[in-house]
Amino acid sequence: MTEKILADENRVVRHSGLELAEHWAIAVSGIILLLTGIFELPVAKRYYIVTIPGLGWTADFITSLYLHYAAAFVFTAVAMFHLVYHGILGEKGLMPRKGDFSASIAVIKSFIGLGKEPPMHKYLPEQRLAYAGMALIILMLIVSGLVKTYKNIYAPDLSWTVVLWATWIHNIGFILFFLAFGAHMAAILLKPNWPMVRGIFTGKVRLDYARHRHALWIADLEQDQPTLGTDSPQQTKANEAPPPENPGDQASADRAKETPVNGQNAPRSEVSDVSGDPETPADRPGE
Amino acid sequence: MREHRSKMSRRSFLKISAGTVALTGVGLPKRAAAREKGQLATLIDLSLCDGCAALETPACVFACKTINQDKIPEPVDPIPEPWPRKTIEDWSKKQHVSDRLTPYNFIYVHKALVVDSGRERIVYVPRRCMHCDNPACATICPFSANNKRPNGAVVIDQGLCFGGAKCKDVCPWEIPQRQSGVGIYLHVLPGFMGNGVMYKCDLCVDRLKEGKTPGCIEACPRQAMLIGPRREIEKIAEERARAMNGFIYGKNENGGTSTFYVSPVSFELINETIQKKPGQPDMKTDVPRRMAKTDKFGDAVLAAPVLGIAAAGALGWYARRKEQAKKEEKDND
Ligand code: HEM
Ligand code: HEM
Ligand code: SF4
Ligand code: SF4
Repeated sequence: MTEKILADENRVVRHSGLELAEHWAIAVSGIILLLTGIFELPVAKRYYIVTIPGLGWTADFITSLYLHYAAAFVFTAVAMFHLVYHGILGEKGLMPRKGDFSASIAVIKSFIGLGKEPPMHKYLPEQRLAYAGMALIILMLIVSGLVKTYKNIYAPDLSWTVVLWATWIHNIGFILFFLAFGAHMAAILLKPNWPMVRGIFTGKVRLDYARHRHALWIADLEQDQPTLGTDSPQQTKANEAPPPENPGDQASADRAKETPVNGQNAPRSEVSDVSGDPETPADRPGE
Repeated sequence: MREHRSKMSRRSFLKISAGTVALTGVGLPKRAAAREKGQLATLIDLSLCDGCAALETPACVFACKTINQDKIPEPVDPIPEPWPRKTIEDWSKKQHVSDRLTPYNFIYVHKALVVDSGRERIVYVPRRCMHCDNPACATICPFSANNKRPNGAVVIDQGLCFGGAKCKDVCPWEIPQRQSGVGIYLHVLPGFMGNGVMYKCDLCVDRLKEGKTPGCIEACPRQAMLIGPRREIEKIAEERARAMNGFIYGKNENGGTSTFYVSPVSFELINETIQKKPGQPDMKTDVPRRMAKTDKFGDAVLAAPVLGIAAAGALGWYARRKEQAKKEEKDND
């Protein structure tokens, strides 16, 4: 686990170096794919993009194809790596959970001053939904892109039905990716999310921010770092509590199952589940 | 659908190969062709073509025009002005043009005045789409409107084409020609996206399905053109080239095509007579298939999922082991 509270620095480690590398490899190659994909459409001449100094190459579809392939190599390899690697480690913090839809509406409402944000885990409910959506779009693009690539090299007379499906899945995926990317950038522009931007570059976010906004996550971490954690009364409460009441919180439940019950470890996850009750945000540890 | 299609093409192909037998007088083993899964090729013998000098329009051109005369619907009037570049290509009022490729003219005959070993001679060269083996015009079409059929014909579906002319840009001979004001783009965002439909020779795929030969081949009074199973046609082309101590064009060009020109005069000489203009392609020998160089990159892309999964497996296994070791250490405390 790389996540760690650094109380002295008022920071908490949010992402490992590997996770940062994955995000940026996907982001950079994804943006290159988006641009070179656009230049695979006959737009450069029509929209006078070719006349912009330095963009003369955009009219040449073969040049764009080199770049599209090069970026697709990184994009595809890293996406597959991501799925399998975090799958093996059972890291599911970004998987959507039950109740994410209504919770994300509550969060969005709070942005415009309607009500308070519910207490949150490491990721906002909308981040988990965005992740699932992005993953689906990326898989669409990769699978259809692989078919198109195979056709270009090995089977120019591949069944027209297959080619049409691949092409249109790719084109629709392109539009969805464009929209999702726009939404992602819009989310970053929202002030409450700003502290996370530091995180995606350095891996660390401000501890006071995290305590305030990702209370459930910090509670989890504090149990893992007993020297830092306030010895919360809830821990005992949680110890007595039956296994997770909240069926939505699969990740915690899974973790609880994996960890040998040796007094220290097991109930910790439940703490967050119990205090996950939106009615009682105030009496969580650290607040 | 597929079942149907393949049955049709097998039948047409048998007839065609029978036709080839009749035309060439060479007995063709039918089985060899069946193994090619119905891939066709055409041969254009420049030693036979006389450009139909006596006719106003060469027979092949006339036949082709006649077959395709109702193909293009009446363009809308006025044709929407594309934005921001305002190019409109309207050939509907110039349908008669027959000395170049247009949306209404898929084949024309170039007259080449060459001096071959000190001797002046005229060679007539019918020009049309080569139906390439790996045609960038088709594989790279963003809507897959342009598609290579199993029989080798490269066909643009006029119902799906947006007329962006990408196919023309990537074709070494800039064969496809645009008619603005027709096609599906009119129903989407005519001002901003698309600009008509691209047209070119489709090897008369519909006639092939009916078991007929393409119009130009049928019409030629000198039997200067042939169609048949790919391997056989290639063999005939080689035999004829050898016999006339001549040359072949289309075998290696653009990575290989399914059109074989046979000529007693070298294609370098013929090419020198051609002033490349829109709709009048040159005849450079050994033009490369530009996309071939991207194939290595594409191979890497096809390998990427395996590499990603392998790396994840290795690293994931390592991370788990490390975690387990840590846990055991803790338990032992
Ligand atoms: C094609 C480009 C990109 C893709 C596909 C992508 C994808 C993702 C995904 C799937 C997540 C996790 C779920 C979520 O927060 O929605 C994420 C998080 C994030 N991304 Fe991106 N991203 C891209 C580009 C960028 C760029 C250009 C920035 C610029 C600053 C950025 C900043 C962030 C931030 C701040 C987070 C939140 C991390 C956290 O939770 O601490 N991303 N990105
Ligand atoms: C962010 C992800 C991607 C975006 C936004 C994107 C976008 C596009 C667009 C707009 C086109 C042109 C339209 C078309 O030909 O359908 C295209 C073409 C293509 N894309 Fe992608 N793409 C992405 C990822 C990929 C990936 C991962 C692969 C391969 C695994 C791939 C392979 C291809 C291929 C082979 C073509 C056809 C190029 C051609 O021959 O014309 N793409 N892409
Ligand atoms: S000659 Fe041009 S239009 Fe015809 S198949 Fe080859 S690349 Fe396509
Ligand atoms: S190929 Fe045949 S029909 Fe066409 S110009 Fe030559 S002789 Fe005439």
